[in-house]
Amino acid sequence: MLENIVSALDILFQPARLLALFAGMLAGMVFGMLPGLGGVAAVSILLPFIYLMDGYAGLAMLLGAISVIYTSDTITSVLLGAPGSPASAPTAIEGHALAKQGKASLALGVGFLASMVGGLFGALILSVAIPIAGPLVLALGTPELFMFALVGLCFAASMVGRDIALGLAAACFGILLGVVGAAPAAANYRFIFGQSYLMDGLSLPIVALGLFAVAELISMVATGGGIAGKPMALGKWGESFREFWRSRWLICRASVIGIFGGFVPAVGASASTWIAYGHAMSTTKDKRRFGKGEIRGVASAEGANNATVISDLVPTMLFSVPGGPAAAIFLGALFSFGFYPGPRMVSESPDLMYMIVWSVALASVLGAAICFAVTPYIARLTRVNFALIAAPLLLIMVAGAYQGTQTFGDILALLVLGIVGWLMKNAGIPRAPVLVGFVLATPMEQYFWLTTQIHGFTWLTRPGVLIIASLIAIPLVLNAVRWLRRRRTAVPQTETAVPGEEPPGHDSGIVLFTALLMVAAFGYALVEMLGFRPNARLMPSLGIVPGLLLSLYVLGRQLFRLHRQGRVANLASRRELPILGGILSYGLAMWLIGFNLATPLLLGWLLLGCARMRWHTALLYGMAVYAVAQGMFTLMRLTPPRGTLLDLPMPW
Amino acid sequence: MILPDTPLKSLSAAVLVAAGGLAAAPAMADDFYAGKTIEMVVPFGEGGATYVAAKFLEPFLEKHLPGNPQVNVRTRPGGGSILGANWFQQNAEPDGETILFTTSSTSNPYVLGMEEVEYDLAAMRPAYSLPFGAVIYVSPRTGIETPADLHSPDMPLIYGGIAAAASDLPVLLAFELLDLDLRAVLGFDGRGPARLAFERGETNIDFQFTPAYMSQVVDMVEAGSAVPIMTGGSVGDDGVLSARDLAFPDYPSVYEVYEELHGEPPSGVEWDAFQAIGATTFNFGLTAYLPEGTPDEVIEIFEQTIAAINDDPDYQEQSQDAIGGYDLLPASAVTDSLSEALQPSDEVRDYLRTLLSEKYDVEL
Repeated sequence: MLENIVSALDILFQPARLLALFAGMLAGMVFGMLPGLGGVAAVSILLPFIYLMDGYAGLAMLLGAISVIYTSDTITSVLLGAPGSPASAPTAIEGHALAKQGKASLALGVGFLASMVGGLFGALILSVAIPIAGPLVLALGTPELFMFALVGLCFAASMVGRDIALGLAAACFGILLGVVGAAPAAANYRFIFGQSYLMDGLSLPIVALGLFAVAELISMVATGGGIAGKPMALGKWGESFREFWRSRWLICRASVIGIFGGFVPAVGASASTWIAYGHAMSTTKDKRRFGKGEIRGVASAEGANNATVISDLVPTMLFSVPGGPAAAIFLGALFSFGFYPGPRMVSESPDLMYMIVWSVALASVLGAAICFAVTPYIARLTRVNFALIAAPLLLIMVAGAYQGTQTFGDILALLVLGIVGWLMKNAGIPRAPVLVGFVLATPMEQYFWLTTQIHGFTWLTRPGVLIIASLIAIPLVLNAVRWLRRRRTAVPQTETAVPGEEPPGHDSGIVLFTALLMVAAFGYALVEMLGFRPNARLMPSLGIVPGLLLSLYVLGRQLFRLHRQGRVANLASRRELPILGGILSYGLAMWLIGFNLATPLLLGWLLLGCARMRWHTALLYGMAVYAVAQGMFTLMRLTPPRGTLLDLPMPW
Repeated sequence: MILPDTPLKSLSAAVLVAAGGLAAAPAMADDFYAGKTIEMVVPFGEGGATYVAAKFLEPFLEKHLPGNPQVNVRTRPGGGSILGANWFQQNAEPDGETILFTTSSTSNPYVLGMEEVEYDLAAMRPAYSLPFGAVIYVSPRTGIETPADLHSPDMPLIYGGIAAAASDLPVLLAFELLDLDLRAVLGFDGRGPARLAFERGETNIDFQFTPAYMSQVVDMVEAGSAVPIMTGGSVGDDGVLSARDLAFPDYPSVYEVYEELHGEPPSGVEWDAFQAIGATTFNFGLTAYLPEGTPDEVIEIFEQTIAAINDDPDYQEQSQDAIGGYDLLPASAVTDSLSEALQPSDEVRDYLRTLLSEKYDVEL
């Protein structure tokens, strides 16, 4: 074994392979930073290039990208508040809150270091656990997989924020989005409105992009100025190292949770990140800072998500069942190079195994180091007028969404979800629960169905199920005991918020409108659901029924508040409407005259209208952005969306 | 007055065909593809089995097609392959430069007449096929050792699959044909997870396509934790799925198992349905379609290219590991049989629709 470890290092340290690893890392870092373009996009863009190299170099390239995605997306999550994936949602919540308090460097530094530890844990588990992880993966039967998804959802529910009704309604809405498409338990397509685009359901990158990135983009362009309003002080790195050391055991535990997440196909990264975050919450004495900038939240989430993406490779290599979407593409690459994952691969190609371990370890460490190095430069971007950054950002998002199915449905879904995200943001409805509900709805439904089909009700007594269930039950019991004890000893605290008062910063008109929309959406979904086959009804009903009740409650509460206040107050979001309209017009223009003609119009509007650039600089900058966008499409081998009325074909 | 107009019509058709042939004639077959690019559309995501097979064939096509074109594999996933196939129907020109490379996931919805289908697969012209065999195996705990034991298992048979109207259909039809008493649990999100459930003992009868069988199940058979029973078979000289799978000459085909159990070759609507769906899934598992109206010249070029690839020692050496060692089938071996399988009789179609709706609750 030792000789394999050394000879694997020898294999990797060929100039061409190291170069491939670095190239992969570079691509992974860039794609991790771009909102909405996560691991899948990076790996699928690199995929055609790996066929130009030898097997080891090609795989090193993909591994370089996979290992650093969750390190570099910390930057976007913290600075923009828009998570690259649901697995970074806790980072976006806590880290962005810290950034707003001028502690961006703390959040980023701890995030990078925790990611690095997570990656190293993943590499360690790959090297030692592959020979022994087989029985462990096989021990996780369908009932355990279901419990894992359920635990993930429960921990995510702890993140709904102060207004529980709104948070739960948001999670229900996420479930509703998640059940769009083919039902796993019955041959029923749900909520597809006759569109074959929706048959596979909505794609995760588009939901994440729409809900978070589009909404953030709109409000930032409308505000004008930089992302941070005032120059964002990055602060010193020193504190982040001290904080990292203080949280070292938490990060290790989070990494272990992440590793288990990797063993579970499909539920993986999002569930384990939320479980790690919930774990951080239950082991922190002072819980008040959670949701408002708690560094332990960042540390646990980043440790877990990076460990998960690496340990996703364990089921991939052992059983050729990929643990996540990026691992699925990696599996295809292994096949293409003539490596056939399976129990035999571990004994037959140990060199390959340890080459993978070394690549992951090296990329994790170097990735964190490079992130530290580039962050000061990226932080400077936050002082630039946002309308300037918005232009390339929006085009990247369009390209990222469009690589989903290369139909206009991708653009439409992005824009509709963008409106939803904008409404929710302005109504003060948390968006992270939507994402979690969306991601976990399908695996929960699927595994619940398979579990009851295969095991009847005996699954409830399986030891694995009971152990995983205790993850929910124990903190619940502890909290209840603590609460009871406090109630007996302490004097009742005075209520901090007067009920019935409007939470500050939210547009009451938008709240009313959004609540109405939600009632309508859930009501319509309920009627539609009654026509489904019985087996296809269970999961939607779990989202729709409570969702309808909660949104009715929210609507009633809002009407009551409006009635008491007499007037619609706080119309802050109105000034964002022109920007929203502009982006929707861009979508419409893309549909009519195609991407190639509509984009110059968008650039003109953003650069001259919003950023008030002088026309010749705008022309130069706009042409550069346009060239980069076209380059992105070419690189991804996509033809930009064509217009239905007229279209300007590109010469290549 | 009724004119015997038929000969006239076919004459004019012949003139048209000849004219078409003349128009295409100047481009000599030797360098037909010189300087051109072929786009091979795969209606599934990167990294899937179809993508891997397409990438495997890419260099061989580039090497052996006259004029050595560049072949680009392009993924267009979505709608369980329907979106990509619809795109191909609407956008591909019949110039031999765009190929749809796909599986029974595209042909089953076509055969079943699903409303989302906008493509006319039977009108397209197959360029070549790659067989994609499959082995059905059971757990030793069932006590089944040979096909004859299938009707007397020690424990209830439980099968894990994805969806009745998708790639499970041929196997479910085989179970139906053999009149097996088993429970099908559908809803897994791939054959890999279904195999894991078999390994965990949650199911006890399963099937895997050849590449996955080679890399995963062969070990289990050696370790005594899986017992191979039969294969889907391959299309024999009689044009139906009666022969053994070429990759597994030791295992009987479904056809033989039926013969062994009943003493006579299978017939009737159950067999016709299995034959139609099974042929497109196994024998023509991965098929390259050219758009309707593609000139014969292009088909002929592919015919010769496929023969050259099959003779290429590199192909013979590498195909064993990558795709199960099957030879490519040229259009002449595909067109008739595939066309028949894609257009089953109304009786078969009704049988399929009734079976799916009554037994598997699938409404089409």
